[in-house]
Amino acid sequence: MNSKSISGNGVKGRLTLTLKSRETLAAYAFLAPFMVFFSIFVVRAGVEAVRMSFYDWHILRPMRPYIGIDNYVELINDKVWWISLQNTVVFTALTVVGTTIVALAAAVAVTRPIKGQSFFRVLLYMPSLLSVGAVGLIWVWLLNTQFGIINYGLSFLGIRPVNWLGDPGLVIPSLSLTTIWWGFGFPMLIFIAGLQGIPEQLYEAARIDGGSNRDLFLYITLPLLRPTILFVTVTGVISHFQVYGQPFIMTTGGPGRSSYSLIFYLYQIAWTAFRMGYGAAVAVCIAVIMAVMTSVQFIVLSRRIEY
Amino acid sequence: MKPERSILPQHTITYVFLTLLGLFVVFPMLIAVSQSFMTNQEVNRWPPQIIPVEPTLQAIHSVLTQQDLRLDLWLRNSLIAATGYTAAVLVLCAPAAFAFARLRFPGNNILFGFLLVTIMIPSQVTLIPNYLLMRDLQWLDTFNALVFPGAANVFGVFLLRQFFIQVPSDLEEAAVLDGAGYFGRFWHVILPLSRNALTALGIFVFLFHYNDLFWPFIVTNSLETRTLPVGLAILNSSYAGQYRPMVLSGAVLSSIPILIVYIIFQRQIIQGITLTGMGGR
Repeated sequence: MNSKSISGNGVKGRLTLTLKSRETLAAYAFLAPFMVFFSIFVVRAGVEAVRMSFYDWHILRPMRPYIGIDNYVELINDKVWWISLQNTVVFTALTVVGTTIVALAAAVAVTRPIKGQSFFRVLLYMPSLLSVGAVGLIWVWLLNTQFGIINYGLSFLGIRPVNWLGDPGLVIPSLSLTTIWWGFGFPMLIFIAGLQGIPEQLYEAARIDGGSNRDLFLYITLPLLRPTILFVTVTGVISHFQVYGQPFIMTTGGPGRSSYSLIFYLYQIAWTAFRMGYGAAVAVCIAVIMAVMTSVQFIVLSRRIEY
Repeated sequence: MKPERSILPQHTITYVFLTLLGLFVVFPMLIAVSQSFMTNQEVNRWPPQIIPVEPTLQAIHSVLTQQDLRLDLWLRNSLIAATGYTAAVLVLCAPAAFAFARLRFPGNNILFGFLLVTIMIPSQVTLIPNYLLMRDLQWLDTFNALVFPGAANVFGVFLLRQFFIQVPSDLEEAAVLDGAGYFGRFWHVILPLSRNALTALGIFVFLFHYNDLFWPFIVTNSLETRTLPVGLAILNSSYAGQYRPMVLSGAVLSSIPILIVYIIFQRQIIQGITLTGMGGR
């Protein structure tokens, strides 16, 4: 409206200014819907979480006194927090390493010039479509000590029944195995795309020079895939660090607290104990840890551009 | 130039490896299907039965008919919520991405940089405040709570912007000469030319939301409003001890719709997921 009345002047300088301001107005109009939601559900929520973390905010109590950094002090002395952090780190490390290896091997195999390429690709991605609920329920029973198929298979090798989900030392690796089965499809697709970006001539030249398949993999595939490997591992770290569904469905955090993950613990605090203030402090700390990890990701990823 | 595909002996190792990996992938699913047709006694037997001796529909029947299990409603809820969420993400992100990619306005780079920084802040930090907001708006137990809080998807803006930038600008200029305004450029030039990117993002966020557990679990609390992943968790906690095959048939039945869609649209889904994954770089 406003801009139209100005353009009536017909002065050239004014006109360009008008076009510019029209473009600005249009841009803000295009941005507005997104920014409204973004401000409410991301910015406001983030700020509010930080604010709440300084209060003794219990959902059932009307009084919510300001307690300064007490929630954070409690957190530092909270054994369960440290157990959950340790479990989460171990789970993330095992899962990311396992997923990356399986995904890379699968991608290499599936990009060979063989019949049935796309069949295998479609098949191997299948578990990734299942919900964590379905995956958890299927694997709990596979891993069952008494009647599980896995222990049955191992019995042929003379191995006595293993208490996969009930042994504090084995529960995290077991959840990790489940997660590798569930989640290697996505990094596999990324690796396939990365492998297809490597020029075939490189391999041909190396073969003429007498390189074996192993040489080709070690000296061509791996180095050229480095950026993809980085991308897969760092995004894997971020996503597996937020593990929640597997312990929730398969072990409810047990035995004891051996499979508490950070997000699982956050759930316990905020939605079982209703301690929203302390929960907010835990959430803020999880966020800080993840923000640091993501920053490292950005630094590592942007470094690759130089080379 | 496509290399010829073959089943030569030199690929034996590849085939052996892929077959083993394929078995590793398929076997757990087949076991679950098979045990859905077993009785409780047959599931709790050593050595474990791979194939049901006397197949029965008892477990599947009880999963579908128990009063406290509503797989039909849960599936419907999951579909509605994931569809609504996907639509909301596209409706919010595409115009914003257009502004960032194609329009000049003061603060463009600063604002976009700010959005990128917030990608580093994980959504967990917003969970508690957003949950309390849902409660105060009385949105708990409604589709609103499942659709709107995550709809401002920064990754979506980032991804679409990448694609919109690549659309050649002469096409847009031609549209401007034909009298197209900003909305016309967006609607008639950029969007049709970015159909692949929009589909890819759509598939990606749909699948993410369809399988999400945490948020739906905390914002729904009645039987009729649960989604499938939440329903499975409930099924597990109430029936795993009593009648194991029910739990397995629940897992199987709940997976069938998405697997059917996958088998029909396998190429689009795989391309879409790959495109989204690559676009994030």
